[in-house]
Amino acid sequence: MLRKRIVLLSILLGFTLFISIQVFTQEAPEVSAKGKEVYEESCAHCHGTEGRGDGSAAENLLPKPRDFTRGLYKIRSTESGELPTDQDLFEIITKGMPGSSMPGWETQLKTDERWEVVSYIKTFYDGFKESETPPRQISLKDKIPYSDESVQIGKGLYTDLGCIECHGNVGRGDGTSAPTLTDEWGFRTWPANLAENWNFRGGSDTEDIFKRFIGGIAGSPMPAFEGDSFLHFGLTSEESKRLSVMENKDEMTPDEEEESGKLYEKMDEAVLVALDRVEGTELTPEAQKMYDDAMKIVYEKSWHLANYVKSLSPEKRPETAIGNNVLRSQYMAEDLPILGDEAWDTLQESYYPLVGQVVIEPRQFNPTIDSVRVKSFYNDTEVAFLFTWDDRTHNTEVEENEDTGTSYEDGIAIQFPVKPPKGPTDEKPYFLWGGKKAVYVWQWKASAQDQITELTVKGVNNVTVQEMQGDLSVKGEYNEGQYRLWVKRTLATDDKKDLQLESGVFVPIAFSAWDGANGDNDIKRVISSWYSFVLEPVPSSRRFIYPPIVALLTVGFLFGLRGFVLRRNAVSVETDTEQ
Amino acid sequence: MKRISLFTICFIIFIGSWVFLQFVIGGVISKPIPNSVIGMYMALVLVAILVHVSVEDSRFLEFLRPIHETLVDDKYRVRRLVLVIAIPVLLTGFTYTNLAQKTPPPGDPRDAHPTPPLELKYKDEVIETMQKAQNPYRHYEKDDPEAFKSHVENGRRVYYDNCFYCHGDHLDGQGHFAHGLQPLPANFQDPGIIPNFQESFFFWRISKGGPGLPASGTPWNSAMPVWEDHLTQEEIWDVILFLSDYTGYKYRTFGEGH
Repeated sequence: MLRKRIVLLSILLGFTLFISIQVFTQEAPEVSAKGKEVYEESCAHCHGTEGRGDGSAAENLLPKPRDFTRGLYKIRSTESGELPTDQDLFEIITKGMPGSSMPGWETQLKTDERWEVVSYIKTFYDGFKESETPPRQISLKDKIPYSDESVQIGKGLYTDLGCIECHGNVGRGDGTSAPTLTDEWGFRTWPANLAENWNFRGGSDTEDIFKRFIGGIAGSPMPAFEGDSFLHFGLTSEESKRLSVMENKDEMTPDEEEESGKLYEKMDEAVLVALDRVEGTELTPEAQKMYDDAMKIVYEKSWHLANYVKSLSPEKRPETAIGNNVLRSQYMAEDLPILGDEAWDTLQESYYPLVGQVVIEPRQFNPTIDSVRVKSFYNDTEVAFLFTWDDRTHNTEVEENEDTGTSYEDGIAIQFPVKPPKGPTDEKPYFLWGGKKAVYVWQWKASAQDQITELTVKGVNNVTVQEMQGDLSVKGEYNEGQYRLWVKRTLATDDKKDLQLESGVFVPIAFSAWDGANGDNDIKRVISSWYSFVLEPVPSSRRFIYPPIVALLTVGFLFGLRGFVLRRNAVSVETDTEQ
Repeated sequence: MKRISLFTICFIIFIGSWVFLQFVIGGVISKPIPNSVIGMYMALVLVAILVHVSVEDSRFLEFLRPIHETLVDDKYRVRRLVLVIAIPVLLTGFTYTNLAQKTPPPGDPRDAHPTPPLELKYKDEVIETMQKAQNPYRHYEKDDPEAFKSHVENGRRVYYDNCFYCHGDHLDGQGHFAHGLQPLPANFQDPGIIPNFQESFFFWRISKGGPGLPASGTPWNSAMPVWEDHLTQEEIWDVILFLSDYTGYKYRTFGEGH
């Protein structure tokens, strides 16, 4: 009897073992020589030959290239704590990660080469081999479409869930904890500026944003909305509202104490279930239902929040201020508007992308300022500019910090040639703060927001503060992760070292900016190339005079022609009859 | 079947030529053609048509007949009315849009193939004349493939430590800083770049960077650093080997014709 049982048990065991081996061999990624070859040719210089994210180029990069040996992947279509799917990895390789140094490889590697690399990357982390079940995917089926109402709900959640702590009140990544964040590897990391969605690593579609909420961004401080990281996890919307009301009271009645106590218990229970689930414990049907109900609310709220985040950015990165988008200062007859005047809202912004200064040591390889946007008005005697740029931190002095290093003062410099070039082939000063030919610079620093210094600069190491500081009106402010700087100057000055402005003349303009918290200081900064702007001449009144004249002349010509032909016909008829 | 009049044929040829220049050549086949160039071609077409129709008296009369009829014949009163309104309206609108147009910003004409100096220099040291200078590691390609490979690998390291920010992971000039630069960084995948220049030319461009360009190359606009300040001679020659190894293009060698 016992023998029979043992035999039966052995057969069963053997069968299970056989099946699991089968499963194991099916799931193990194929390590092909091809994948290794492509990886070493195209990926290893950043991600390292061992996949540790320590290739030779990694030193100067931030965000750092992914370390594949820990199985932590930021951009996934899978739930929190899960590995990415092969498709996820394939898509990141194909499309790249905007705002980082990871490019898309669609043009450079063939489809099968990209798949080979996916398989090869997976060999760096044993977890891919060991996982027996496919990763749980995030469901997109109950998407809540974009609407003003949904955006409003999302806006409320944005505050309630504590997003503002990192991403700031209006989403520019300027929350109070923004300067303190590090990733799983101890490298510094900045919360996303939600107003610049072209830099979102995993894409800017509402679905992409939604997936980051449910799945989290593994390895970064961005949490997944599950369990205790989600506000009132496990409560229905009504219960959540009720609890918020009670929590906001100065003192609760005994009844309310009891009611809130029950709600806390309910939340604790739901969090425990979520933890069990993550650990792989099988859930009882009741627990499963509790989890599903809790997650349904999380999903709903995440869609609203995703819609809100989507509303914070323009459709795409604005076009650079060249060609048709060149900055044209608008003429107005009266006094120029001051900072905060509504007149500024009538103008389109001109967008100037800024990139790290990597020409001269010390170089800035990992800029944090994306761009500066400019508007301008002028009248018969003066010109006013409004410069706007996002900076997550407001630094007005040099500060030493053990964890994040030294931070410096924020600032911006606007650079012009001393004289506008006479023609397109006329020599300009060197774009990076001049050289043999000097540039005329307005330098503004965050510590003195209502002052600007006029400089004459002949290269980054040859800066002279002008003796004659002209009569410039300046007003600067920092608000919610954004600097706004208003500058007004007379078109003409008495100083030979100043640029003299005239309507209708295109003038080169370039920018330097400093985010002190990112280590920008002096030569280390973000910069732009030369662009140009013009004080747009008042449209000539000729456009109302010439067209009517043309109309009259054309009509006259047509009638004249007909008259001429008729007369000639008459003459020829006469001569015909005479003959 | 009614014969198509000579005037209609000429009209169709004229409009057809414009459509061909504007949309077929300047759209499907290559980049848009500037309006001034199209204007010149159209003037030629017009002259050709006028010469063709005025060669014989009879043909000229035939050509003028529809115009003549439209102007005076009572059969064509409606057509006449339409034209007498349409032509002035079109011309007036054209004049207005032309006058209301904003002045475009000046272009930045730049010689993309600047003339190199006679001597190839690294810092102040003269290496060789530009024509004769050779990549000292090129001969390993035949003599010692292992050594060659290690130079290419070193070039790869130099490239990804320094160049890819602007010139891109794919050497296509689309690095993650490229969108902020005018002029755009060179695209080494472009078949017109590597095969058109000698290795010594590349050494000159890399070591002296933007500021080392002659005036025709607008040195004040280029963000290309002066790499001799950061890299050794060997590193520069190695990265030059890497560029052609990665893209598969071969540099021009001395003595080859254009």
